[in-house]
Parts: sequence; structure tokens; C-alpha cells
Amino acid sequence: MEKAAVSPTLVGERRLRLAKDSDLVSACAAGAPEAFRELLARYRRSALTLAYQMLGNAEDAEDVAQEAFVRVFQAIPRFRQEAAFPTWLYRIVTNLCLGRRRKQRPLVALETLREPTGPDSPSQQVAEGLLARQVLTALPPHLRAVLLLREQEGLSYRDIAGALGVPVGTVRSRLSKARASFRRLWAELSESGEGKQ
Amino acid sequence: MTCRLYEKQLSLYLDGELPAARAARLEAHLRLCPHCRGELKAMIGIADHIRAASTGLEVSHDFDQRVLRAVGYWEVTGRRVARPRSLLRPLFFVAVVLLALLGIIWHYLAPPPSRQPQPAAAQIAPAPAVPGTPVTPPGRRQR
Repeated sequence: MEKAAVSPTLVGERRLRLAKDSDLVSACAAGAPEAFRELLARYRRSALTLAYQMLGNAEDAEDVAQEAFVRVFQAIPRFRQEAAFPTWLYRIVTNLCLGRRRKQRPLVALETLREPTGPDSPSQQVAEGLLARQVLTALPPHLRAVLLLREQEGLSYRDIAGALGVPVGTVRSRLSKARASFRRLWAELSESGEGKQ
Repeated sequence: MTCRLYEKQLSLYLDGELPAARAARLEAHLRLCPHCRGELKAMIGIADHIRAASTGLEVSHDFDQRVLRAVGYWEVTGRRVARPRSLLRPLFFVAVVLLALLGIIWHYLAPPPSRQPQPAAAQIAPAPAVPGTPVTPPGRRQR
């Protein structure tokens, strides 16, 4: 691994904010915990959002996101930066979510999700968000993970493969299935919601 | 090739992962097939739907602090970060400075204390001398 490009004894807030992820990782590994704070500030929201989309529960998502950052801090001296920092972080978040889902609840049956968005929905955006959460919850976790890493985090197929520990070919087929399933579920739930209103 | 087979390629096409020759065939099909065009448009919209699913999600105000506490950040850096500062200390200093200023102003502006008029020495009647008692002159202490 490269030696820290940022001195461990740095560090003006401004320099931290301008530093590249890779420099922050190196600095943190070399003993500058301020660099970890900056990484936390940069990625807490996307880690939380990914966990939330995976788990469908804000409290669980926050627990997972925090645990992911703790693991990052502990493992950062061993992180060789073969993947980009966010890819590594998302891998940790995704694995924690998949582990948690295995321990906790089974997949929600589609029938239980067929609830109308309600006439008192405050806005179309909220209704759309609710519907999207229902669809995501109904997807199998391995399809949901690949879809979120691609559509939400914008990872490449190679990075998704690295994050999930599967071949690129598997990412291709899972993503295709995930999109088709999302489309189908979206259409079904939209129609059932409209039908009940 | 049927629509069903083309649909399977839409995901790869969307991500630019379809080889050029197959992409060209798919594009030719899309120009003729409104159904597959609709499917592609719907797939493009998935990203927006997913973004909407996290609408209103907020990071809790103490998220960072909980993480930093868990990793022992305070022990490493020897300082506390993002902790709201207490107003007591600055208020205390302001109060001390104000009191000092008030004291100075009082010292210079307050009228001097009025002195009690000293009784005139002449007005004090000397004690009548007792015969046989030595008379001590004023200003000398009697032994």
C-alpha cells in the first residue's frame, strides 16, 4: 500500500475536505483519525440510504450503517485499495444487511403489500416513494442488492461483482432479472393501488 | 428474434454493456417496436423510483458521534469534536469583566465619603487634676 500522502499530523479542515478518498484512507491507516471523520462525513448518507433500501426500516438501517463504519475503521489498516473506498464500504453495508435479513424476517409476501397509498397521501412523491419501498421489499435480497448498487450508487458491473463477491456474469443476469421483476411488481402494485382508490 | 429475447438485452443496453453488433440490432428493433421502447423507458425510470424510496430519510443528528465513540475516536485524538459548547464559561468571563468595569467606574465617579468633623481639641475640657497625680504632657504616653 502507498504511504500516506497526507501527513498523519495534519490537518486543516479545508485540506481534509479537498483530499481524495484514497489519500484519506492512507492517512487514516497511518494514524490520522481526522481522515476517518472526513470519510464518515462523505459517505454516511449513502451508506444509510443503501441500508435503508435493503432493510426497509430506518432504525435497523442506522444500526447497520454505524456498524459498517466501525468495521471500516477497524479494518482500514488492512484495506489495500484494490477497490475504491465506496465500493468497499457498500460491500460491508450490503453484507451486514444480507446477514441481518437472514437472521430476522422472511420476505414479505406480495399479497400483504397490496395496500393503497391512501387518499390522504401528502403528495405524489411520497406515494411514489412508498410504492417503490414496497416493490424493493418484495424483491429477493440478492436481486435488491445488485439493483441498488447499480441504480442508486452507480457502481460498475465489476465493482458490484467485487462488492458482492460474485462473477461479473452473475451481476449481468441478476441485474436483468431485478429490473424485470421491479418493472412487473411496480406495474402490479400501481394497478392494484389505483383500482382500490 | 422476438420481443422477449430483445427484452432480455435491454438491461445490458441501458448500462452500455451490450456488444456493438447486438446493440445495433436492438436499436433497429426499438425503432420498430413501441412495446420494447416502452420497456426501455420504464427501465430508465427505475432509478427515479428508487431515489423516491428514500425520500424523507434523514441521518440522525448524533450519527457521527455514536460512530466516533464506538471506534474510540476521543481517546485517540484526545479531544471532543462537534460537542455543543457550553455558554457558561464565556458568560462567566463577561460577568467578571463587567464587574471589574463597574468597580473602576464606581471608584472614579462616586463622591468621596463625607468626613465627620473632628472635635476641636480646645473644646475638650481637660480632666481636673488630682492633687499628687503627675500631669502627663500631651503627646506622651504615661508609663
